[in-house]
Amino acid sequence: MCEEERAVILNASDVCKYYGDFCALEGVSFSIKENEFVSIIGPNGAGKTTLINVLTGLFKPSRGKVFFKDRDITGIGPEKLSKLGLARSFQLVNIFPEFTVMEFIKVAIISRQGKGTQFYHLLAHDKEIERQAQEVANLFGLQGKRNVLAKNLPQGDKKLLDIASAFALQPEVILLDEPTSGVSTSDKNKIMETLVSASKKIGIKSIIQVEHDMDIVFSFSDRIIALHQGKILADGTPQEFEKNEEVVCTVMGQKECFKIFSGLGKDEGSS
Amino acid sequence: MIPDILNILISGIFYASILFLVSAGLQLVFGVQKIFNLACGSFYALGAYTGVSFIVAAQSLGLPPILSLIPLLLAGFSLFFIGPIIERGLLKFIYGRDDHFQLLLTFAIVLMFEDVIKFVWGTSPQLITKVYQAYGQIDILGVTFPVYNLIVILSSLIFAGLIGYMLARTKFGRIIRATADNREVSEALGVNMKMVNVKVFTLGTVLGTLGGALVIPATAAITEMGVDLIVLAFAVVVIGGLGSMKGAFFGAMIVGVLRSISVATYPELELLIIYLIVIGVLVYKPEGIFGGTGT
Amino acid sequence: MLSFMAIVLFILVLPRFGFQYASYLMLTFFGYGVAVLGWNLLFGYTGLLSFGHALFFAVGAYTLAFLMNKFSIFHMEAILLITVIISGALAALVGAICIRYTRVYFGMLTLAFNMLFYSFLLKFYYITGGDEGMNVSRPYLLGIDFLGIPKMQFLTGTYYYYAWAVLVIATLIMYGIVSSPFGHCLKAIRDNPEKATYLGIDIKRYRWYAFIISGIYTAVGGVLVAPVVGLVDPSMAYWTHSGTFVFMALLGGFVNFLGPLLGAVLYIFLQDTIMSLLYYWRFVFGAMLAFIVIAAPGGITGFIGSLMNKEETGV
Repeated sequence: MCEEERAVILNASDVCKYYGDFCALEGVSFSIKENEFVSIIGPNGAGKTTLINVLTGLFKPSRGKVFFKDRDITGIGPEKLSKLGLARSFQLVNIFPEFTVMEFIKVAIISRQGKGTQFYHLLAHDKEIERQAQEVANLFGLQGKRNVLAKNLPQGDKKLLDIASAFALQPEVILLDEPTSGVSTSDKNKIMETLVSASKKIGIKSIIQVEHDMDIVFSFSDRIIALHQGKILADGTPQEFEKNEEVVCTVMGQKECFKIFSGLGKDEGSS
Repeated sequence: MIPDILNILISGIFYASILFLVSAGLQLVFGVQKIFNLACGSFYALGAYTGVSFIVAAQSLGLPPILSLIPLLLAGFSLFFIGPIIERGLLKFIYGRDDHFQLLLTFAIVLMFEDVIKFVWGTSPQLITKVYQAYGQIDILGVTFPVYNLIVILSSLIFAGLIGYMLARTKFGRIIRATADNREVSEALGVNMKMVNVKVFTLGTVLGTLGGALVIPATAAITEMGVDLIVLAFAVVVIGGLGSMKGAFFGAMIVGVLRSISVATYPELELLIIYLIVIGVLVYKPEGIFGGTGT
Repeated sequence: MLSFMAIVLFILVLPRFGFQYASYLMLTFFGYGVAVLGWNLLFGYTGLLSFGHALFFAVGAYTLAFLMNKFSIFHMEAILLITVIISGALAALVGAICIRYTRVYFGMLTLAFNMLFYSFLLKFYYITGGDEGMNVSRPYLLGIDFLGIPKMQFLTGTYYYYAWAVLVIATLIMYGIVSSPFGHCLKAIRDNPEKATYLGIDIKRYRWYAFIISGIYTAVGGVLVAPVVGLVDPSMAYWTHSGTFVFMALLGGFVNFLGPLLGAVLYIFLQDTIMSLLYYWRFVFGAMLAFIVIAAPGGITGFIGSLMNKEETGV
């Protein structure tokens, strides 16, 4: 088993976050290894968004630390973190409305290549940036819309674009905040498959996602972390989850409970 | 020595009282409509020039100079109609737009008012004589103070009290505070935003015109006075905190007294000192002394 | 691009056809053009509205006056170079404080620094000449002393071409800047600063760079205008003069690269025309600005652009 030999790439250690009296996160600890696809699940208000914000360095936790590749990244902020190799996408689409698809992706590439301070040559003449942006667009199926303004894209494509730009940073770890939310059910699988194949091509080592759709979670995850009222309720493989009735019913709601434990509608195997 | 210091202080507090009135108007409008109204200086100037006209008219009707406060207050209040004209005629089109454009619109209003004033009153300074002296001086504990200064300070305190009472105790005041805190929720709760906008802006206008009218016995009305004032009013609200009434009060005190001290000692440094403090506040505590939301 | 060349040529030959007065007005346009290009780098491309750029304009103008009157440096090239250095340093200092804030606070801070400089110019009259300002004569262009020629002829002759050349060069450089990867990042910061941060862009640093470039440009504008006016005085630093740059950019349209230049030339000619017809030109301009803000925020180029209705959608 090569489980133990895989390096830990992201590590949260006893993370707590209080807003006054309200405890959003308590004693959250876990490790993410390379080449893992981890889903974080939990009902609304469980602290998922807070956890993501802490993991991506946006918030400083009240207590505890976060390590990325053995480096303390607690509260260093999203900009520095992107440079270190951890990128993130957003639940509510976060786009540059006035940019075309290509221009949008180029921002990430310029940033990654450190060309942001080049005032002295024309962006349009930079074939390298153009080529790389085109590759990313292709990976996400957006090449046909390369000159469409981001604000004019359909919702699903906006989401893809947001994610594509994060991928264009070629991070080692990517954190996806509800990548399929607001997307029609028929598109969800398509998006997830695009994501997984893109991450392989780009060389992303680990994917962490926050997701509500249990079909997606079970189909794609190597591991699931369930959050409830700011604490980790369970942390294990999909198979382990399926056996744990208490967790499933608390975290995933009655519908899933019924689905899984009455033997109906069992998922057709994972990825 | 001490009498001089006290006189500088009173003169400073006098000017602070005027500044407070104008700044209070600025804060109300910013708090509710989230617009930084550059035209508050124009209202101040308008009030001043109108004050002169009212006094001149009153004097020709034989009004004794000592009662001059009445036409001045009348001048300030009578200009209230400017508020709805500007609010309904111009401002309402840009609510909800990018705040850059809101600032620019008030700048456009400043430009327009400059010429309106020139058109009505011309370009030479307008002065009223006899009024300031008519109020004479008063002797308190061996120090003489101009009575007019004390009257204005008192009036300003009364207005401050009225505003405070209104905000804390009346329904309108509660609506103002709620809207300043969270506009959308207030609207959702059924507050008639149109009426609130007009009323608040009118109140802000009147505070400005009152400030201008009340200052007129002590200074001349000149073309640049509106534009000059915005520079100081802006210092007041930054130091005190954007949107805060308490901030307007203390900010005005600080600016008024500093200005007075500077004018008496090193006049070249007047704006410099005030603005160094503005920059200092913006760097160390950008929300101002009483900053944050709400009034 | 072709139309741009045509306009360049047209302006170049204007004085030859004897349009003396128009040429004189164009001189101020050359300076203001450079100045407003700089201003719009901050607003149109980075999303920061400065109400204090008159500060840099005055710095440029006064630098020229100082160098010529107090240090006997008459060479325009040297003056321009020194202005770039001084204004760049000043912009770096002022900008370091201002760009940490956005929106109203940014505007207010720029206004504060602007008025600080104004009060310095006004009050320290033994250095700056106070409200009387300082007279400015003619600088040497390319090392040649033109004091022998009558002033108007110099201005609408050699100086005209010189200033025009400076504007063209400045425009080309600015075009390069906004079309560069740096310019692209600025637009990203303007569009969505949060997302830009998440893509690894140091928004404070880039805003700072934009501020510095912007300040330098506006100062150069001041240098170009000073000899035309013949006098530098504190009114150049009054905050309402900052409003002039804003007006010009908005009139022409701040989204289009050449919009501010169009706005500058229109403003200058309009102001001249209206001022001669009507005493109350400020009212007209105020009304115009109000109209633009309410009905046509994209300015003239924005209006034309929406008329042409580019194809943007795609599903």
